[in-house]
Amino acid sequence: MLTINDRDRIEWRPGMTVRDVLDAMGYTYALITVTVDGELVEEDDYDHRAVPDGAALNVFHLAHGG
Amino acid sequence: MAQKIQILVDGRTVEAAPGAPLLELLQSRGCEIPTLCHHPDLAPAGSCRLCVVEIEARGKRRLVASCTAKVRDGMSVSTASEPVLAHRRRIAAMHLGRWPRVPVIQEIARRCGVVDASAYRGTMTDENPRACVLCTRCVRACEEFVQQRILDFAGRGARRHMTMAYGDVDPHCIGCTSCAYVCPTGAIQVVDDLNHPHDPVMIRDHGMKVNAEMARLDPQQCRMRQVGTANIIDVMDQYDLLPCHNFKFGSHPDAKKIYSAVFRDQYLTQGEDDGCWKGCSMACAKAAEDFELKTGPYAGRKVLVDGPEYENAGACANMGCFDPWFALEWNFYCDTYGVDTISFGTCMAFVMEAFEAGVITEAQTGGKKLRFGAMLETLECLHEMARGEGFGVDVGQGIRWLKEKWVREYGADPAFLQDIGMEVKGLEVSEYVAKESVAQQAGYSMAVKGPQHDEAWLIFMDMVNNQIPSFEDKAEALYYFPLWRTWFGLMGLCKLLWNDVVPVDNKTYPPQQAAKVPDHVRNYFKFFEGMTGIPLDDEKMLAQSARVHNLQRIMSYRCGRGTREHDLPPYRMMGPVTAEEYESRAERYDKQLREILGVDPAGKPVEEKIRLLRAHREAQYVRVLETAYERRGWTRNGVPRISRLKELGIDLPEITAIVRDAQD
Repeated sequence: MLTINDRDRIEWRPGMTVRDVLDAMGYTYALITVTVDGELVEEDDYDHRAVPDGAALNVFHLAHGG
Repeated sequence: MAQKIQILVDGRTVEAAPGAPLLELLQSRGCEIPTLCHHPDLAPAGSCRLCVVEIEARGKRRLVASCTAKVRDGMSVSTASEPVLAHRRRIAAMHLGRWPRVPVIQEIARRCGVVDASAYRGTMTDENPRACVLCTRCVRACEEFVQQRILDFAGRGARRHMTMAYGDVDPHCIGCTSCAYVCPTGAIQVVDDLNHPHDPVMIRDHGMKVNAEMARLDPQQCRMRQVGTANIIDVMDQYDLLPCHNFKFGSHPDAKKIYSAVFRDQYLTQGEDDGCWKGCSMACAKAAEDFELKTGPYAGRKVLVDGPEYENAGACANMGCFDPWFALEWNFYCDTYGVDTISFGTCMAFVMEAFEAGVITEAQTGGKKLRFGAMLETLECLHEMARGEGFGVDVGQGIRWLKEKWVREYGADPAFLQDIGMEVKGLEVSEYVAKESVAQQAGYSMAVKGPQHDEAWLIFMDMVNNQIPSFEDKAEALYYFPLWRTWFGLMGLCKLLWNDVVPVDNKTYPPQQAAKVPDHVRNYFKFFEGMTGIPLDDEKMLAQSARVHNLQRIMSYRCGRGTREHDLPPYRMMGPVTAEEYESRAERYDKQLREILGVDPAGKPVEEKIRLLRAHREAQYVRVLETAYERRGWTRNGVPRISRLKELGIDLPEITAIVRDAQD
């Protein structure tokens, strides 16, 4: 199980990457910052950075517009 | 992007991302690479050839400009081989021969081991120490930073020189000084002193940071240059925040028909002068040229239509009008008639729901079937409004007026109209669905001027990021952000350069700080200081704004709208009013009943579930409201305390007299 933003939970599966988590959450936003267990993940690494079972991810969307 | 690969740099193994700029990689490894035409804020040009390196790939060796080369698998790079050094020496010697007294050229020659300036001296030699060295930086800055082509080269060979068109001063140049900023020799000097700023260099240097970010980052971030704020349409639909059918829903299957790419590909004229402020490096205002109108007094005429801005398109979704043609035609006539698109769109969405619910009928609308998606009928209402006749005149009075009339004259249910009429303080709500963000509901409803679009910043912080979970967190956001927004208004500065493009390293800040984009807040403080000579920080900025914000609230109070009951939103802003709405997001709402309220929704009628959810959400809202009042130094009834006015230095007798009787 993975925890997103200290609130939402999704099932973990082997080999899951940061990109898989973003897809599962429907996070398509351009201005986001991702940390896995407190460690910043660069956008270049989303596709191959593995997420361990039980990890806590923070997916921070920076507001814009208005 | 693929995983990092290994390449050889001067015989040593180096890890790098495939496709990464080679020069940046080499410089980050401490390699000695001279450059002239290269500037970190500009796209590489490869014109001076000083940064050449030798690359061996698939058995072939060749000299390439490292600024334009990309990291490739199997690449072996030599940065100081004899062919490389010989090439650089030759180039540097030629530059030194032509511009022997230009300091940057002298420095490059020294780094390349050239000391004799005589080898290439001749009739082309220019003894000016600030001579233009034809590096092309200024031409590229003009194009990349502000999307202009004021500067370019004329002449060939020895006669090649940088100039404006026809060698004359181009009246289109707005004096942004981008060219001077990137000029390595001082050939372009800023001599103007328009408005007499205290420190023009401070303003310019921070402005150029923004320009550079726009050029480099915007294409991957918000695409403001491509589509403007219309980029938000797609985002809002995908996050269930796009108001559809009078804020009932946050997304719609037809919303894709008005996504930003549709306007970009089919309607918008790209790369033209900005309609907002010429010279702005963001240039987010867009327009469709040669748009042929189908309705109204200008039917058949081809016109230029500004937009759409996000809120224009959001209002179309709210009216169920998912057609780019409609968005432009309606936007044109709103602009032409001087009608606010948000107010009209939200009001019309309310009319449409009332029509579908049977509150009003064709008898009241002049025969128009005003169901969601009724595009021609909506346009006709707009034209009627402009002509001062028919049902359009009623629509022009706004939601609050319509509610009162329909209750008074048609016997409509006032509670239902109050729930679905999306207005607060008499102003129609702007185009964001705030149901899942109690902070955003308060942001809208507590706004002194009403729930308008520049208060719509807290949705992501609250709903998606869950970064302001406690009531105190929300109250703090409801303190800082409205004051920050007020400050933009006070200074007459656009807010889009604050957080519609974001520095790459913003993500290294903790989320609470990152949300404020600290580097960009600092830019604005430097603009202020550069203009006035007065240093600014967060505390001083907040104090400047709080004075005005509190005075605005007191004016609002004096006008009869500055108390608690005027800060309460219609329930549609807070949650599902109808069974149709609840059922459309039943999984979400049922989950909340289970997990937050501890109620098993199984078997309960939808009306019961709506009632339970409503009681919870309304209570949450009141707690946020009261906590935010406290943080702002206002009474439980939302009136500024005299102690707060004293703190801000605005406790003038005529001001305190207004609120004295309203203290706790």
